[in-house]
Amino acid sequence: MAQVIADRRDVEFVLHEQLNVGDLSQHEKYAEFNKKTIDMVIKEARNLAIKEILPTLKEGDEQGVKFENGQVTTPESFKRAYELLCEGEWTALPEDPEWGGGGMPRSVALAAGDYFNGANYGFMMYAGLTHGAALLVEHFGTEAQKQTYLRKMYTGVWGGTMLLTEPEAGSDVGALTTTAVKNDDGTYSITGSKIFISSGEHDLCENIIHPVLARIEGAPAGTKGISLFLVPKFRVNPDGSLGEFNDVVCTGVEEKMGLHSNATCSLTLGGKGKCIGTLLGEENKGMRAMFLMMNEARLLVGLQGFGCASSSYMNAINYARERVQGRHLLKMMDHSAPSVPIIQHPDVRRMLITMKAYVEGMRSLLYYTGYLSDLITTSDSDEEKAKYQGMIDLLIPICKGYVTDRCWDVCSLGVQVYGGYGYIKEYPQEQLLRDSRILMIYEGTNGIQAMDLLGRKLGFNKGKPIMDLMGEIQKTLVQAKEFESLQPMAASVEAALNKLGEVAMHLGGKAMSPEVLTAFAYAHPFLEVSGDVVLSWLLLWRATVAARKLEKGAKKKDQAFYEGQIKSAEYFTQSVLPVSQGKMRSILAANAAAIEISEDAFGGK
Amino acid sequence: MNIIVLVKQVPDTESLLEVDTANATVNTQNVKWIINPYDEYAIEEALQIKEAKGAGSVTVVAVGPDRSEQALRTALAMGADTAVLVNDAAAEGSDALGIAKVLAGVIKEMPYDLVIAGVRAVDDDGYQVPAAVAEYLELPLVTAVIKQELGEGKITCHQLVEGGSLVVEAPLPMLFTAQKGLNEPRYASLPNIMKAKKKPLEKKRLADIGLDAALVGTGSAKVAISALALPPERKGGKMVTGDTPEALAAELVRLLKEEAEVL
Repeated sequence: MAQVIADRRDVEFVLHEQLNVGDLSQHEKYAEFNKKTIDMVIKEARNLAIKEILPTLKEGDEQGVKFENGQVTTPESFKRAYELLCEGEWTALPEDPEWGGGGMPRSVALAAGDYFNGANYGFMMYAGLTHGAALLVEHFGTEAQKQTYLRKMYTGVWGGTMLLTEPEAGSDVGALTTTAVKNDDGTYSITGSKIFISSGEHDLCENIIHPVLARIEGAPAGTKGISLFLVPKFRVNPDGSLGEFNDVVCTGVEEKMGLHSNATCSLTLGGKGKCIGTLLGEENKGMRAMFLMMNEARLLVGLQGFGCASSSYMNAINYARERVQGRHLLKMMDHSAPSVPIIQHPDVRRMLITMKAYVEGMRSLLYYTGYLSDLITTSDSDEEKAKYQGMIDLLIPICKGYVTDRCWDVCSLGVQVYGGYGYIKEYPQEQLLRDSRILMIYEGTNGIQAMDLLGRKLGFNKGKPIMDLMGEIQKTLVQAKEFESLQPMAASVEAALNKLGEVAMHLGGKAMSPEVLTAFAYAHPFLEVSGDVVLSWLLLWRATVAARKLEKGAKKKDQAFYEGQIKSAEYFTQSVLPVSQGKMRSILAANAAAIEISEDAFGGK
Repeated sequence: MNIIVLVKQVPDTESLLEVDTANATVNTQNVKWIINPYDEYAIEEALQIKEAKGAGSVTVVAVGPDRSEQALRTALAMGADTAVLVNDAAAEGSDALGIAKVLAGVIKEMPYDLVIAGVRAVDDDGYQVPAAVAEYLELPLVTAVIKQELGEGKITCHQLVEGGSLVVEAPLPMLFTAQKGLNEPRYASLPNIMKAKKKPLEKKRLADIGLDAALVGTGSAKVAISALALPPERKGGKMVTGDTPEALAAELVRLLKEEAEVL
């Protein structure tokens, strides 16, 4: 039978042959996670994802969430799936076991998350946001806050959210108006309205803990006056039991294009003046706390998109093998020739290899970024730690912005491979495409990701992170060139890398010149080509591992897989990178039409 | 209460099976392995009994090559306490009776009150091993159990029979086989997966259980598979044509007689 969600051979390949995550077990912190244990963890995660979570995907989409009298009801099938997820303690995989986490390397947690999110990320988001909110508590909470909330959140007993967006404060967070007034007992009374709150209200948990961004009375304007508060839906008594309702009222849920199974809520805080929160971290340092958590959240969004793309590819490849239609192109004129599976048609193969190359490259990118965190954990050297952190910071806008853009493309191809059936609800392809669209918008639009890369990450620490990344790419180039068959691919990657260096210098310079607006009109194209180069590197890396294994004489069952690795790299370096080169030429030319055109000239008036 | 569960590792039903026609066997090179699904019911029932009693132990036992250890580890991750694997080249190629001799040989050395097995294994669907084990151990046997109630020194089993269920009672110790419907097997939780690798898994050879190698393995097998083939690929359907219902029916009957040769 065909595989679903993710190709397990590919998951194993990245973990054990590209990154060798089993070696992390040499460090005492991950001593428990040798290869055998990692395999068992992934196998059981996959088992649960396929048997219990994947079946909720379609029902979740069709039933959606119901809003009535301030209460949100999640799809029927979510209750059991959520119970199983919590019973198995799959909700906080990389976190400290002391607080109910799984204590595993982030790279391994990402591989497990690959299956869970690919099965139904709308469902997983209820747990995923809880995890993110709990991380805030772990990093910034007082001992009392941790004792009250942390274990219950990491184990999924209580939910968590992130209350940031307001009607007039989305991408511009600094404009938010929710206020906090200090009470005599040190708590704060919170008043305000928040919108677009994912998992903001639901029936899977007995309590929901909202980290809330708000402005303390008299605080400075803009982001410098924002503080972070913990606001539970139900107040928590000193003994840990639930107390009275904390005046966090859900006033509605959004009707959306996709992601129907996750409640996107409007919340009114303190409408009756009875919403109490406690300060999380320091006054006016709320944005800084948010930034520390942003990498985690953005990597998760990349994984959500990736789950859709990987699932869509698995479905497409299976469908193309089975769906028989049309004669083989070489037998077009022979009316007696049989119809063939559509995988034999050149244009279908083009789509499939495109999907394959992006899915594989993105899997490596996401796991690699998680793996860099693991290297920070296991390294003793401050210099190394700083290096890895710089590379993570640099890669995050690519993991979020570039990955979710490409996932949308992959899911769109996934519809196309099915033809008309891709567009109808009988098959999962159209849902995966709809569900993946929001990912380009939330957690910082991809335009903001591009600005983050160009404006903040590129020049950070005098460009050291990008130099470090280029150094890693160079290492792969040296290894790839040992194989004659890989030399043309390595040459393409090298040429693209050199060009990217030139583009980065040029655009970085422009961003600090009077042409700054033009520079930022090219921020998104720059994100795209940066992502292309990074992906071409990771695919070349994969191909190098594969070539080495083939040279040593791979087992028969692995041969096709390794050959497929080399073909992905060949396709990407020879068919995608030339387009990236063209894009880089256009960035270097930096035509200013988008900036110079007058608003009237856009027409439509 | 000490419970022993018989476990067999079988190819994942998701695996694409290829037949090795030369050796009349399944080509296992591309196969992923799982616990026989019916054995999962057996393990789950054993765990539930132990949890209800609040004492005792669950031991999972398998015969097979090195890879069978994975199945036992999975059973340990579900919550079993200990595992025993009999891994001996001499046992390879055993038929059901040979495997049963090995299992009975291991079990008779261990303290137990109850033995549970899956009603059948999904790979070769023989239904024989548990019955033969019961025979060798001289234990009462109840097959295809969908519900059980443990009493003092006895057990009442609801056995699935055609069109209904039969309620039978047996004294302990005894062996029963688990049928679908008995329970809903649990998933391995992350903490139990982590604990599983530290739980004892004892590996034994035939000599360790005092079993003469000549009694098992290919040589002593009473059953030999002479040929193995995949079911023929299904051909496209045939549309019966005709102008009237009568003509259609007549044509259908003709086809059933002459082409399908089923009438």
